Amino acid sequence: MSAASDLSVSLRDFSANVRAEGRSLVLVLSGNADMAAKDSLDSLLPRMHAEALRIGVAEVQVDFRNLEFMNSSCFKSFVSWISEIGELERSKEYKIRLLSNAEMHWQRRSLHALRCFAVDLISVES
Amino acid sequence: MTEPPTSFELTFRPNVELISIVRRFVTDFYERMIEDRDTVSRIALATHELLENAVKYGSDGATFLSITFEPGDTASTVSIQLVNRANAEHIAALATIFEEMSRYDDPFAHYQIAMARTAKRKVGSGLGLVRVQAEGEMTMSYTIEDDRVTILAQTTVAARRSS
Repeated sequence: MSAASDLSVSLRDFSANVRAEGRSLVLVLSGNADMAAKDSLDSLLPRMHAEALRIGVAEVQVDFRNLEFMNSSCFKSFVSWISEIGELERSKEYKIRLLSNAEMHWQRRSLHALRCFAVDLISVES
Repeated sequence: MTEPPTSFELTFRPNVELISIVRRFVTDFYERMIEDRDTVSRIALATHELLENAVKYGSDGATFLSITFEPGDTASTVSIQLVNRANAEHIAALATIFEEMSRYDDPFAHYQIAMARTAKRKVGSGLGLVRVQAEGEMTMSYTIEDDRVTILAQTTVAARRSS
């Protein structure tokens, strides 16, 4: 069984850490999410999803504010996770809040694309 | 008088680390030429995705990258060109992606469809080129000559720094 404290990735140029905050999980990303980060993110997001279901969170926040870049492979990891949430029974669904940095211009387009993919589940804040 | 084009060319064997280094260089370089940071971000994203595409699908690793900035009287054009060799299977896959892109008038709508399809994919995302077109707001084309693949991504730019 996962605990939020076990959900972290630390690579040379990328890190991801999950912590619990009340009835939420907070995923903080930083660095450069490129091909080197893909496998770690592919492993982390399903485990975070399982933990979110286990503790019955209302929301998961994903903090992109210190993420310099995300490639399409890592973007796909988020698409798969969001798709999993969309397939849950209504009672188990949780919301996703994406925290963005207006100075990182790629985030406006990429996070908008994610929001449009699941508009009922996702909000974006800058 | 219109200024002459500015360009740089790079022939190398990209790897994961070098791709991000090139993306950062492209960002630094074009921030000195293009006022709009959002445009620079689009160019950097397109460069990164096209280079990763070449790493994943190139048959011998060697890749030629060219980025050209052509100032115009009312608008300037940025062209990103990637050339690499690929095997027949990957060339066919590339043709399929471009054929699909050509069927959609709205690149963002196509992007959303590609996202829905990729959610269950086990290998690859199939999103790289579609993302360049939709998020990068690039006009995309490609040519094949034997096993040599050339991908061209172009966008227009409003203004150039005066310095």
